[in-house]
Amino acid sequence: MSGKVKLMERKGKDLYERLYLIEIFKGMAVTLGHFITNLLDNSKLYVRHYPEQQPEITARWRGRHRLTTHEDGTMKCVACFMCQTNCPAKCIMIEAGERIDGKTEKMPVKFDIDLLECIYCGFCVEACPMDAIRMDTGIFSVTGSERKPFVLGLEELLATKGAFTEEEYKKGGA
Amino acid sequence: MSQLDILLLILRVAFAAFVPMCFIAVCVWMERRGAGFIQDRSGPNRANIFGFRAGGLVQNLADAVKLITKEDVIPGHIKHKFYFVLAPVIVFSIALISFAAVPFADVLVISGKHYIMQGIPTDLGILWFLALAGFGVYGIILAGWSSHSKYGVLGGLRAAAQVISYEIPMGLAIISILVVYGTANLTEMAQFQGKLLFGFIPMWGVILQPLGAIIFIIAAFAETNRTPFDLAEGESELVAGFHVEYSAMKFGMFFMGEYVAMFTSSALIITLYFGGFQIPWFATETLVYHSRLVSFLLMVLLPLFALLFAGWISKNNRSHYPRENDPRIREANIYIKILWGLVIALELVLVIFLIFGSGGTAARILAAGLQIITFLVKVTFMCFVYVWVRWTLPRFRYDQLQKLGWQILLPLSLLNIFVTSAIVIALS
Repeated sequence: MSGKVKLMERKGKDLYERLYLIEIFKGMAVTLGHFITNLLDNSKLYVRHYPEQQPEITARWRGRHRLTTHEDGTMKCVACFMCQTNCPAKCIMIEAGERIDGKTEKMPVKFDIDLLECIYCGFCVEACPMDAIRMDTGIFSVTGSERKPFVLGLEELLATKGAFTEEEYKKGGA
Repeated sequence: MSQLDILLLILRVAFAAFVPMCFIAVCVWMERRGAGFIQDRSGPNRANIFGFRAGGLVQNLADAVKLITKEDVIPGHIKHKFYFVLAPVIVFSIALISFAAVPFADVLVISGKHYIMQGIPTDLGILWFLALAGFGVYGIILAGWSSHSKYGVLGGLRAAAQVISYEIPMGLAIISILVVYGTANLTEMAQFQGKLLFGFIPMWGVILQPLGAIIFIIAAFAETNRTPFDLAEGESELVAGFHVEYSAMKFGMFFMGEYVAMFTSSALIITLYFGGFQIPWFATETLVYHSRLVSFLLMVLLPLFALLFAGWISKNNRSHYPRENDPRIREANIYIKILWGLVIALELVLVIFLIFGSGGTAARILAAGLQIITFLVKVTFMCFVYVWVRWTLPRFRYDQLQKLGWQILLPLSLLNIFVTSAIVIALS
């Protein structure tokens, strides 16, 4: 039953390392070096001065949702309920109605996304057969002081434009 | 009691009471900005009053407002509410009181009268500190016990065990330093350290007692519950340890108590091992005797330092991203103007001293002022060492902590006593 045993050499057992203080002083020299350089010149800190300097969002980054439209301005969504069925957070609430612009038979009359419930997993985008819902708005910070504005309606979702060109968005394989 | 006596009494007590309190702000600020810079971050730099950020110090005011206005919760399961409230008070007040016996300047002689520059002019010295230092941890144990939760009790237990194992090496290190100085009075210890070894090395405790200094500093770290010995807090395994049930200003008291304890033990380390208020190579009598030369030197050095400092401010107090009409540059210009105003005021005082203050009293007050500044600068450096160690070392494991205390520090400090006593006897 004896398996292959590989004896690892234990580090830190010789006197030099067991004195401990020398290694501590070495570590403290490292931190002091960082402290002094940053104290004398604080322009090279690894920080982004956030509200003023916005981060770069890539095309595949899952931001706030939007509903896409055809070139003539009619919405692509056909109210198939695929996104609502797929949503693990159950944050999409669709009400289907008859289509009035003559594209197909159905369209949503109500399309609500509760952003407080949403976990930004992107499953709705994956599920959509019509490429009607996308998360390419580049909006990563959704804030508010009450609950109501967090439930996005159809108009708001349609009104937001994508932050990227069509080629850029497709490049990721979407 | 003359009026001068009363004035000096008030001044000394005020110094001993308010300077540690002011140092809470300085230490918290140093901790945050120090941690930031050590980790290549910037630390708090946004909180401001009319655009004045004072390098991040204003953040402390914001924190104070937050802690004071928060809801002060006493959880329903707590049976002994009195002890629950008493615990943070003990931690804070004990830390504050232990500073009272630390001298911040040499004995001030005004018209033949001697004034010991301590909060409480006692010669108990180190005994006062020893008596109170162990008592500070009672607050932590009491907090842990009265919290009635397992995290709190575990934190309190750890604090108790830690103090027992580190108080002994600390006491033994103090014994060997007592053997060297031959006195328990802290003012006399600091005066002893004003002498020179072989005529050119300042006779600081750290040079006479290097091993004792290391043991004492390690034990002082453990005593103040700072990393790497903050097992009582241990947020990774005990959530927050002894103060897990505390909120608002009761937590604030623990928080401030930690920094006051850090200040006090820094002051004590300085007094015992780093010359206390002594300026190296300038003992009190030298300062008084050459007071004109010293003030002239100050007059020359002050603008030089101010120039460097102003350059540093204007280099670093600006926005590091494109910004129109950078308000931080305007802020920096105002700081620099204030700095030069202060320098001019100080220069005027020194000029007046040079012209009129030939007498002994003025020279002695100047020497005392310089010693207070030296003391505070040294304490600030020692507080920085605390911060620096905290952001360098990870926390000890509990068994490692006990092993270090009992198997390494205790024998070393005993050995130190024997060696020191042998040398002292051989030399005398």
